Amino acid sequence: MKSLLLILRSVIEQTREAVATLVGTIRYTLESPWNFRAIGEHMFLVGNRSLVFVLLTLGFLGAITSLQAGFQALRIIGDTTIIGQQLLPLLVRQLGPTLVGLMVATRVGTGIAAEIGSMVVTEQVDALRMCNAPPLDYLVKPRFLACLVMLPVLVVFGVMAAFLSAMGVAALVFHTPPRVFANLDFVSLIDVGEGLVKAVAFGAAIPVIAGAAGLAARGGSEGVGEATTRAVVSASLAVIVLDFVIGGLAFLVRT
Amino acid sequence: MIEFLNIRKAFGSQVVLDDVSLTVHPGQIVYIIGKSGAGKSVLVKHVLGLIRPDAGIIRFEGQDITRFRERDFYPLRKRCAMVFQHSTLFDSMTLLENVALPIRKHKGLSHADSLAAAREKLALVQMEALADRAPADIGDGLRKRVAIARALTLDPMYIVFDEPTTGLDPVSAVRVDRLIRRLAVDTGVTSIVVSHDLRSIFSVADRVVFLYQGKVHLDGPPTAFRASTDPVVRQFINGLPEGPMEL
Repeated sequence: MKSLLLILRSVIEQTREAVATLVGTIRYTLESPWNFRAIGEHMFLVGNRSLVFVLLTLGFLGAITSLQAGFQALRIIGDTTIIGQQLLPLLVRQLGPTLVGLMVATRVGTGIAAEIGSMVVTEQVDALRMCNAPPLDYLVKPRFLACLVMLPVLVVFGVMAAFLSAMGVAALVFHTPPRVFANLDFVSLIDVGEGLVKAVAFGAAIPVIAGAAGLAARGGSEGVGEATTRAVVSASLAVIVLDFVIGGLAFLVRT
Repeated sequence: MIEFLNIRKAFGSQVVLDDVSLTVHPGQIVYIIGKSGAGKSVLVKHVLGLIRPDAGIIRFEGQDITRFRERDFYPLRKRCAMVFQHSTLFDSMTLLENVALPIRKHKGLSHADSLAAAREKLALVQMEALADRAPADIGDGLRKRVAIARALTLDPMYIVFDEPTTGLDPVSAVRVDRLIRRLAVDTGVTSIVVSHDLRSIFSVADRVVFLYQGKVHLDGPPTAFRASTDPVVRQFINGLPEGPMEL
């Protein structure tokens, strides 16, 4: 019971820190000038350097899903032509954004928390404050804007990779013609909107949560390690919770 | 003038500062000394808003800054600079860009103008030849000189030095000591120096404040510190491992 209370207290504290970081970052985004060079560098780090990871993971996942769904479809209804029309909406509104979100939370979130956490414990963040460069403006804002742009881009590439690999497997294993597999009639604008809103929401949440974890780092390398772990756990959890909330709202819109 | 009135600060259950009161007068070089973990750096960071007190009042030039918000501290940090213990230069920037950053941010100068101004400040510490090098390419002593140049960029009237000579070779340490003294004599800069370096204390300080068990244990000129018969002070000066001083 006591440990449960401690966990609850920690969750509340981290949520409070993340919300304060989000509000501060949005304020600096609206009020102070943008450092386009820093934003560009972070877009490269978030986007280009995650692209192969995203393409490979989503590609294999699409192939596996196509294979498993094909076997089930054959066994139950004896027809594999429905795989594509069922898979594409699922990828667009659910699997694509969520998996890319989780991957970016792991790959980029840990990097942000470790970098900012190291700067905190070596007093570089204090030095920035002395230089009239608020950490939220100077460190979190460029990463926030970069993720906001690059998450949807990665989701688009990830969904394409998953769908193309799924289509390839369906053609090779089940002899489903690509023209039949790639049936876009079952993807609605609401599906696309839901996927993009999720991508943008994850793009906002991951750098803010990771940045808050990094800024809360205390002590030496142990503190940086703790901040990194906290960042990946909290950011992954945020992706799942946001996925549920936005998915629920989209369901209400559909009905 | 900087005033600390009844400052109390704890981290968790560990009380670091317990009812510390201290006034730093303009033009003084005040050394804050004490064993590691005595709360010296914690105390000086209060005046810059880098650490907030649990209780007590801090006044900067007569103004109560205890409840200042973070943004309220930015103008104050133009007048009161800090040289950090490990120099804390930004690895992703050249030495010149490190010095230019506070000029650009505080004065709102363009990138080119701030670089030109930074080059002048680097010349003050004889570092202009290495302006385009990265912090990782130079040694601790040179990094410290650049950190001092960065602190001087805005011509502050107060400078906080956190262990400025720690880790430096004797020659570099004496140069830093002379610079601190020169700043006080030539420009009237008030310096608060956190240090363990007895040679530096006895050659530069106008006043010594010895922190022990979260309180001001001794406050006076270096001569009074050197002549003190207090067992804790004697143990500190003589560097004895055995004695009344708690670990």
